[in-house]
Amino acid sequence: MTPPQTEFVTHSSAETIAVGRKLAALLTPPKFLILHGDLGAGKTTLVKGIAEALDAAESDEVTSPTFTLVHEYEGTLDRHGKRTPVLLYHLDLYRIESERQLETLGLDDLQTDDSIVLVEWGEKFPSVVKRSQGEIVMTSLDGDARRIVLKMKPEPTAAKS
Amino acid sequence: MMVNNVPHTGSGLILGIESSCDETAAAVVERGTRQLSNVVASQIAIHSPYGGVVPELASREHLRAIVPVVDAALREARLTMGGAGFGLNSLDAIAVTEGPGLAGALLVGIGYAKALAYALSKPLIAVNHLEGHIHAVLLEHAASLPVTGPLLALVVSGGHTHLYLAEHHNHTWHYRNVGHTVDDAAGEAFDKVAKLLGLGYPGGPWIDHLATHGNPDAVPFSFAQIKPKVHRGGQRTSDAPFLFSFSGIKTAVLRYVETHAMAASIAARRQQITASTKPADALQLCDQQTLDLLASFQRAVVDDLRRKTFAAAEHYGAHGLLISGGVAANRELRSRFTRAAGERGLPIAFPALSLATDNAAMIAAAAWPKLLAGDFAPSSLSARASLPLGQ
Repeated sequence: MTPPQTEFVTHSSAETIAVGRKLAALLTPPKFLILHGDLGAGKTTLVKGIAEALDAAESDEVTSPTFTLVHEYEGTLDRHGKRTPVLLYHLDLYRIESERQLETLGLDDLQTDDSIVLVEWGEKFPSVVKRSQGEIVMTSLDGDARRIVLKMKPEPTAAKS
Repeated sequence: MMVNNVPHTGSGLILGIESSCDETAAAVVERGTRQLSNVVASQIAIHSPYGGVVPELASREHLRAIVPVVDAALREARLTMGGAGFGLNSLDAIAVTEGPGLAGALLVGIGYAKALAYALSKPLIAVNHLEGHIHAVLLEHAASLPVTGPLLALVVSGGHTHLYLAEHHNHTWHYRNVGHTVDDAAGEAFDKVAKLLGLGYPGGPWIDHLATHGNPDAVPFSFAQIKPKVHRGGQRTSDAPFLFSFSGIKTAVLRYVETHAMAASIAARRQQITASTKPADALQLCDQQTLDLLASFQRAVVDDLRRKTFAAAEHYGAHGLLISGGVAANRELRSRFTRAAGERGLPIAFPALSLATDNAAMIAAAAWPKLLAGDFAPSSLSARASLPLGQ
């Protein structure tokens, strides 16, 4: 079975936010995904759209977690016709240099049944790659254009309960 | 500015503890103004008679550092007090950072502070980290700032870019958030641009040093006008019309580097810069094009911060300005802000370098007015990772 893959191309940060809103509908918790993209690819911009769609934050309020490492947003999600709580975690491992430092972030605690965890620079760590159910890959094309691809792993790894 | 207008019969000594992000820190401050000690774990590592604490981010490292750091802060305070007569019982209160920050890291400081306060039967005071940054300036400069009317505070660091109106009345400080970044913090832009150009971390000191050798008008950077937008659901949750954005300039620098064939020289520089390289040594590793780019970047960021800060000061009728956080150490920022304040006749104050970056003296200083007001934390105090300051 081919793994589910969804692809978008955007031409502005407004369009990237709009794609984030669409992606949010595909991210049913529990989710643990790597958010892959170079400096300036628009990773924080995409999370703005996802957070908006979950009613977790306004786009102005979603800022880069590079220094602060973990940002948490409480939102809600339409599930079986009912708004149910969801926790959106936006992490950035850019400043993390070793698995030992990584351990202290307590990824286990973030990964719950009602959470969506998006990890920037997660590809640096084999343990994070192993833990993840897939990745969102952002690539800079010409000018302001970006390609955004959601790639799920072929076999949905059993999310930690 | 007199804030101690409530009679206080104790020693006025507060032990502050800070562990919100990278630094484990402890300090003893008297009556919110006199630092008896100010210890940060990374300083201990340099001259390591306390067992070689390795300062690293996150909770396990805080757990290792907290005991030696608090011990060092108490020992230094005892020395400053002239030895005899100072002990744990001399303290009037224990203050600790409640948030914002990493939950696990915050909990280390909070757990320790709670245990200490309980064991000593002293009050526990919870302090917002961002309020601490504001008091880092008030600690030294309260006397040179106006007594009445609001002050405008710019807190600008690797993790934060916020504007607050701060006002002291009814024995309490009141804060209102009137501006923030919508994406990257200003200090983060410095770090990422330094990294893009093959310089060291943190980027601020490198760019500060090298920018003085470049032409700030060489590369025009423009900032998009950000309009506060109305939330789809109705009302905005915050009334913060002064918005910053530093993500675009990072991308603009990246694009400049790509279109001006700078990759090879950057790669060469990255190889030559080691952990022991100082910003001053990097000058010979930079061509004029790089220096001009750095100078233009720094000018653009400082000008954007300056324009919005002074526009906010005028809009809210601020009676004085205080600038805090790691980026407040930037020399161009200091000189341009000082000049602009002078032109407008506005008092302005910056923290000493040791108080600009994360520290615990600012937490102990912020706790002093709370001690006077009897604003104590319950024993159920816990970490609040996303704690905002003001409305």
